[in-house]
Amino acid sequence: MILLQSPSRYLLQILSTRVQNLEKGVELDCQWIEFDDVRYHIQASVKNPNLLVLSVSLPTPPPETVFFGGLPPEAIEAIKAAYGTVVHILDPPKDGFNLTVKLNLSKLPPEEEHRKALLGKIASIREVVQGAPLRAVLKQLVSRTVKSDLNKLISLVHRPNESFFVVPQAEKVTVVFPMRFKDSIDSILATSFLQEFVDARRTAGLGNAPQCMWSPSPPQELKEAPAEALLANAGFVSFVISPRHVEGRKLDRTVWSLSTFHAYVSYHVKCSEGFMHTRMRRRVESLIEALDRAKPDWKKVKKAVQTRSFKRLSVNDGRASSNSRN
Amino acid sequence: MANTSRLYLTCIRNTLEAAMCLQNFPCQEVERHNKPEVELKTSPELLLNPVLICRNEAEKCLIDSSINSLRISLKVKQADELENILTKKFLRFLSMRAEAFQVLRRKPVQGYDISFLVTNYHCEEMQKHKLIDFIVQFMEDIDKEISELKLSVNTRGRLVATEFLKQFI
Repeated sequence: MILLQSPSRYLLQILSTRVQNLEKGVELDCQWIEFDDVRYHIQASVKNPNLLVLSVSLPTPPPETVFFGGLPPEAIEAIKAAYGTVVHILDPPKDGFNLTVKLNLSKLPPEEEHRKALLGKIASIREVVQGAPLRAVLKQLVSRTVKSDLNKLISLVHRPNESFFVVPQAEKVTVVFPMRFKDSIDSILATSFLQEFVDARRTAGLGNAPQCMWSPSPPQELKEAPAEALLANAGFVSFVISPRHVEGRKLDRTVWSLSTFHAYVSYHVKCSEGFMHTRMRRRVESLIEALDRAKPDWKKVKKAVQTRSFKRLSVNDGRASSNSRN
Repeated sequence: MANTSRLYLTCIRNTLEAAMCLQNFPCQEVERHNKPEVELKTSPELLLNPVLICRNEAEKCLIDSSINSLRISLKVKQADELENILTKKFLRFLSMRAEAFQVLRRKPVQGYDISFLVTNYHCEEMQKHKLIDFIVQFMEDIDKEISELKLSVNTRGRLVATEFLKQFI
């Protein structure tokens, strides 16, 4: 898996099992956490098997980010537009959560295909809620409506106490990510990854991708931002989104990939560290073998293991070796 | 690359061949103790002059020898921050497995990245020329591994970036 998927896999699984076994109507109470400190809680009772109560908590916003009633701006409208009558927002939300919704499974569309699509959409509720303000900004870009807040800095939360910045301009939107990593090794690996973004953009096939810049110091667009938001140990990345990147169905994908950009980079940084460990372990083995070769009885040890030039295989041996290969 | 480093490695190999003439030597101060003199440095008459072989500022090899032990300390080239991190990570990984390597020192000598400590017992149980082969191969492998690791990080970075940017097209 190279790209992060927007539906929460676990939530999707819970929902689809629930829909398939609706008549059983077992009680359900489940909590879990996803990357970037997004928490979910889902409940269902035996009395009303069609009703599910889903609560979502978002990362705590830094002081420069505005939340209206505990939710990012335009989130309520986005939920209503995306789910229609299936989802009903409960106000106030449950304690410790930003949003609580009631899902009415009896209102799901009867056709298998539509139902699947809607369940997938419900599973990506995080994309809808968290990406709502970004979606609103990018939508203006599509409709080319000139708003009064041009060039005004908008900050959007994407990690606990961290935000990224969006600057709407005429004909384009600049998105700036201050990249912070707790670990110094992570930040160095990420820096080299981010420079690859700039280089990759220059290759022939990606000429139409958004313009991408990386700099160790805050770019010009951020001069109004508060000082504490401008500390980043892996530099600043900016993407310039133009209308062709948000046309039609591309809008959803753009919103999702921009709002999880940090998670995407840090996921791959961790993956490459894991890969490095595997390599290093292999190298240590080969070096130890080289040292063993220095011992005078090394060949004797090897010979003692394989005294015969062929080995009689029993059924069990064959099974064991084929298992170890998998 | 391989040719320029060969001279450096040959020089180290020759020095090691000359330096690795170790004999059993019990401690002079404490009865029934037998310790590597190069580490203790209790009596100056048992130590030989240290040899420093430099390829350049960043890459050097210090060989301290004594009557019953030999210490080889290596400094590995680190061109940029990424190489620095990779070297540190890899050599720490090796030092943590010093037990398995026998001749590896748990902690490098100050100012160096990794150190070996060869005692007369190691020379007794292993063939001397093969041990020298191992040290030279070790040095080659470290260089190779670090450049490969760096390459793999960059390749992955490029792939990650391309896949991300492809989404917008």
